[in-house]
Amino acid sequence: MTPIIAFRGVGKRFAGVTALSDVTFDLMTGECHAICGENGAGKSTLMKILSGVITKYDGEISVRGRPVAFRGTRDAEVAGIAIIHQELNLVEQLPAAANIFLGREKRTPFGLLDDAAMEREAATLLTDLECPVDPRTPAGVLRVGDQQLLEIAKALSLKSDVLIMDEPTSALTETEVARLDRVIAQLRQRGVTILYISHKMDEVFRLADRITVLRDGRYVKTVDRVATTPREITGWMVGREIANHDFHGARSRGEKVLGVRDLTLPWPEHPRGYRLKNVSLDLHAGEIVGIAGLMGAGRTELLETIFGATEPTWTGTILLDGRPVRFIHPKEACDAGIAMVTEDRKRLGLFPDLDVAANVSLCGLRAALRGGLLSRGREEALVASPIRETAVKSAGPHAAITGLSGGNQQKCIIGRWLLVKPRILLLDDPTRGIDVGAKAELYQLIDRLCREGLAVVVTSSELSELLTLADRILVLAEGRLTAEFSRAEATEQSIMEAATGGQAPR
Amino acid sequence: MNLSGTSGSGWRLPRHELALLGAIVLVFVGTGWLDTNHTYFVNWSESRDIILRNTSLLGIIALGAAVVIIAGGIDLSAGSMVAFSATTCALLLAVFSEVDDKRLVTVPPLGIAVAIGGAMLSGLLVGTLHTWLITSIRLPPFVATLATLVGLRSFARAMCLFVTKERWGSESQQINVNTPFFAWLKEHNVWISTGTFLVLAFVTWLILSRTVLGRHLYALGGNEQAARLSGIRTENVKWFAYCFGSLTAALAGIFLMADSSVAQPGNLARGYELNAIAAAVVGGCSLQGGIGTVTGTVFGALFLRLVIDAVSKLIKASADVYEGMIVGIIVALAVTLTQFGQLAKAGRTLFPGSRGLAAIPTIATFAGLLAMMGAANVEAFRGRTGLLGVVVGGGVLLLLSAIRWTEGRSVS
Ligand SMILES: Nc1ncnc2c1ncn2[C@@H]1O[C@H](COP(=O)(O)OP(=O)(O)OP(=O)(O)O)[C@@H](O)[C@H]1O
Ligand SMILES: [Mg+2]
Repeated sequence: MTPIIAFRGVGKRFAGVTALSDVTFDLMTGECHAICGENGAGKSTLMKILSGVITKYDGEISVRGRPVAFRGTRDAEVAGIAIIHQELNLVEQLPAAANIFLGREKRTPFGLLDDAAMEREAATLLTDLECPVDPRTPAGVLRVGDQQLLEIAKALSLKSDVLIMDEPTSALTETEVARLDRVIAQLRQRGVTILYISHKMDEVFRLADRITVLRDGRYVKTVDRVATTPREITGWMVGREIANHDFHGARSRGEKVLGVRDLTLPWPEHPRGYRLKNVSLDLHAGEIVGIAGLMGAGRTELLETIFGATEPTWTGTILLDGRPVRFIHPKEACDAGIAMVTEDRKRLGLFPDLDVAANVSLCGLRAALRGGLLSRGREEALVASPIRETAVKSAGPHAAITGLSGGNQQKCIIGRWLLVKPRILLLDDPTRGIDVGAKAELYQLIDRLCREGLAVVVTSSELSELLTLADRILVLAEGRLTAEFSRAEATEQSIMEAATGGQAPR
Repeated sequence: MNLSGTSGSGWRLPRHELALLGAIVLVFVGTGWLDTNHTYFVNWSESRDIILRNTSLLGIIALGAAVVIIAGGIDLSAGSMVAFSATTCALLLAVFSEVDDKRLVTVPPLGIAVAIGGAMLSGLLVGTLHTWLITSIRLPPFVATLATLVGLRSFARAMCLFVTKERWGSESQQINVNTPFFAWLKEHNVWISTGTFLVLAFVTWLILSRTVLGRHLYALGGNEQAARLSGIRTENVKWFAYCFGSLTAALAGIFLMADSSVAQPGNLARGYELNAIAAAVVGGCSLQGGIGTVTGTVFGALFLRLVIDAVSKLIKASADVYEGMIVGIIVALAVTLTQFGQLAKAGRTLFPGSRGLAAIPTIATFAGLLAMMGAANVEAFRGRTGLLGVVVGGGVLLLLSAIRWTEGRSVS
C-alpha cells in the first residue's frame, strides 16, 4: 500500500498555546485510520489543517506524494478530502438535497436550479446510506444521526477519496452507530480512506486498521490494531495508567428527594401528540438514576420539564421533598437546589464571548461579590476548585472559552453547576466528547458527590456509561417509560429491546 | 469578553480603545492644523464647549445604546425618545405654569421637579413597553423599536397639540421654555451635561463590569438560551437594558430642551439613534451582542463628534450635509479595522474574486465624486473640480488595483 497522505513535521500555534507540534505520519490508501488522544490533544486541529480550514501552519502535507498548500476547504475538496466536523455544519432551513449540493448546485440548461435532478441524486445517495429521509425535508428537523449521514452524503457526492470523521458518533444512539458502521464498511469497499476520531475505544477497535496516538499536540506512535489493546492506547494517550474503579461499592440510598408522577408533556404540532406520556420516576439522595432511550425518546424533555425549562404545559405532579412544585423558569429550579447540564453545549451551554472563569462562575456569581461588587480575585478563587475537580485544561481562568477543545468546554459547563452545590443534579449526556481519562475522573467525581448525598439523574447515548454509573436504569421509548432495571438486572441487550419498543435493535 | 480595565493588575486599556484614543488625538491635532481659521488654537474655549456639549449629549445616548447592544438587542427609538421626553417635560411645565404664561417664564419649583421626574418616568414607561413587546409578544427588537421610533414622535406631537389647546386654547406645534432654572441649565449646560455624562459613564462601567447584573447582560447577549438555562431571568435583564436605553435618551432630552429653550417634537433629535448606535459600534460593541465596553463607547462618541466637528471646520459651508456620509465611512472603517487582524489571519483578502473586481471601480467612483464635491469649497480648485474628481478617482482605482494585485500574488 502507498501512503495517500503524508504529514511531515506539522505544527500549529494559537496565540500562546501550541496545539500541535512536529507531527509526522502517513495514511495508507484505503485504510481506516483512527486518531486517539485526550481532550485538547490536537486531533481536531490536525484535521482542520488537512481539510483546509486552517491554512497557516508549520510543516508540510503531501497528498498522493505531492506537497500541497490548501487555501481553503474548496482546495481540499478538489484534492479529494472531505471532513465531517465535530460540530455539524448544515443550513437548517434548507432541504436535505439542497444541503448536499450547497455551493455546487445543479442547473437546468436555462441556468435555473434543477431541484428535481438534485433531489433524485440525493435520494440515491441517501438510500445507499440506509437513510430513509425525503430529500425535501429541511435539514433542521432531521435527527442528529440523519444529519450526520447528510454530511456523509455530501462528502460522497464530492467523490472524495479521503473522508475525515471528527467524533461522528458522539451524538448518535446505538442503532445509529450500527448503521454508521455499515456505511463505513461500504465506503471502504469503494476504496475510500477514512480518518476516524473518537473517544470510544470499542469503536476504534471495531473499525480501525491502524491507530495513531497524539498527546499534548505531539505524535506518540502509530500501531496496528491487532498488535495492541485499548488499555495500552489509553496509557499512551494520558501517559499513565488509568485506574479502573468499581463505583458501586456500598453507595447508600437516602431519603426520597424527587418524585415524578404521570408526567405528560403535550406536543400539539406532532402526530404523536405528546413528547412524554405518563412518566413516573423516583429519585433518592445518594442515588444515580440513569435514563436510556434513543434519540428523540424524550430524555432531554424529561430533564427539561423537571428543571422548568419547557413551556409549562405539562400535566402530572412533580414532588420535591414531598411537596408539589411547578417550576416555570430554570431560576426557580436552581433556587430549589436543582442543576442541569444541558446536552447541546454550543447552543445551550456556552457563552462564547465570556472567558473560562466567567463561564464557570456564572451560576454562583453571588459568592464572588465583595461589598455588592464583583471581585475578580474572589471570582478566580471561586472557580479554582470546580476547574480543578473537572480537570479543565486551559491557558488559565482568563483564556477564551472558544479556544478550548470540545471536551474541555464540556468540563467547564459541568464545573459551572458543581459550583452551586446542588442537591439534585440532572446530567443530559454529560460525557459527550470527553476523553476516556477525563470520563473516568468525572465518574469518580459524580460517585463521590453521590456518596455525599447528591441525587443524580443522568442520560447517556452510551449504554456502557449508564451501566457503569447508575443504580437504576429507566428506559424511555417514544415518550413512554417502557422498562426499569436495577443495576444487577440490566444488560445492554435488555435495555436496547426496551428502548426500541420491544423489538430487537436493527 | 473584554472587561476593560479589570483584567490583571491596575488599569489597562485594551488595543481597540488605545487605537481609538490615538485616532482621537490625531483628528484633534489634524483639524487644529488644517483648519484655515485654526479655531482650536485661536478660540479654544468656545471650541471646547461645543465639543464637550455635543459629545456628552451623544455619549449619554450612546451609553444606553451600548447596554442594549451588549444585551443582544437594538434600540432604534432613541431619537424619538429624546423628543418624547423633552415634550413631556415641557408639557408638564406648561401644566404647572400660570395660564397666561405661554413662554413658561415662571414655574414653581414643584412643577420643575415634577416635569423632570415625569420626563425620566416617560423613559421607564417606553423601556417597559419595549420589553413587553419583545419578551411577551416576541417581536424582534428591531421591529419593536422601529415601531416606537415612528410612533413616539407622532405621539409626542399629538400630546403637544392636545395640551396646548387645553391649556391656552390654541394648538401649537412647539413649546417655549424660559424658566430661570432651565435658563441656568442652559448657561451651565457644558459642565452640567459633561459632568452628568462622566458620572453616567462611571455608573455604567460599574454595572457592566463589576456587578452580577452586568455579567448577566454579557451572558444574555452572548447566548440567550444558555443564559436562561443557567437560571438567569433573561426577561428581567432585558427589562433593565431597554429601560436603561430609554432612560439615557430621556435624560438627553431634558438637556436638549434646556439647551434650545424649546421643545419641538416634530424635528427634535431626528436621527440621533443612528449616531448613538454608530458611536457604540465604533467603540467596539458587536451588534451580535455580548461584546462591548464603556470606555470604548465613550471614546467612540468623542471620536465621532470630533470628526463631525472637523468636517464643519474644514468644509465650513453646509457641513451638516456631509455629516451622514462621514459617520457612515467611519463606522465601516472602524469595524473593518478591528476585524482586519482576523481577516488577515484567516487568509482572507480585501478584494477577492469578481465581486472584489466590481468593488474597486465602485469605490473609485464614489471617491472621485466626493473629491469633486469637496473641491468646490476650496478656492484653489475653482473651475477645475471635474479634473480633480477624475484624478482622485483614477488614483483610487490604481491604488486599489495594486492592492488586489499584491493580494493575488501573496496568496498563490
Ligand atoms: N481557535 C483556537 N484558538 C486558541 N486555541 C485553540 C484554538 N483551537 C484549538 N486550540 C487549542 O489547541 C489545542 C488542541 O485543540 P483541539 O480542538 O485540536 O483538541 P482535540 O484533540 O480535538 O480535543 P477534543 O477531544 O476535546 O475535541 C487545545 O489546547 C485548544 O485549547
Ligand atoms: Mg476535537
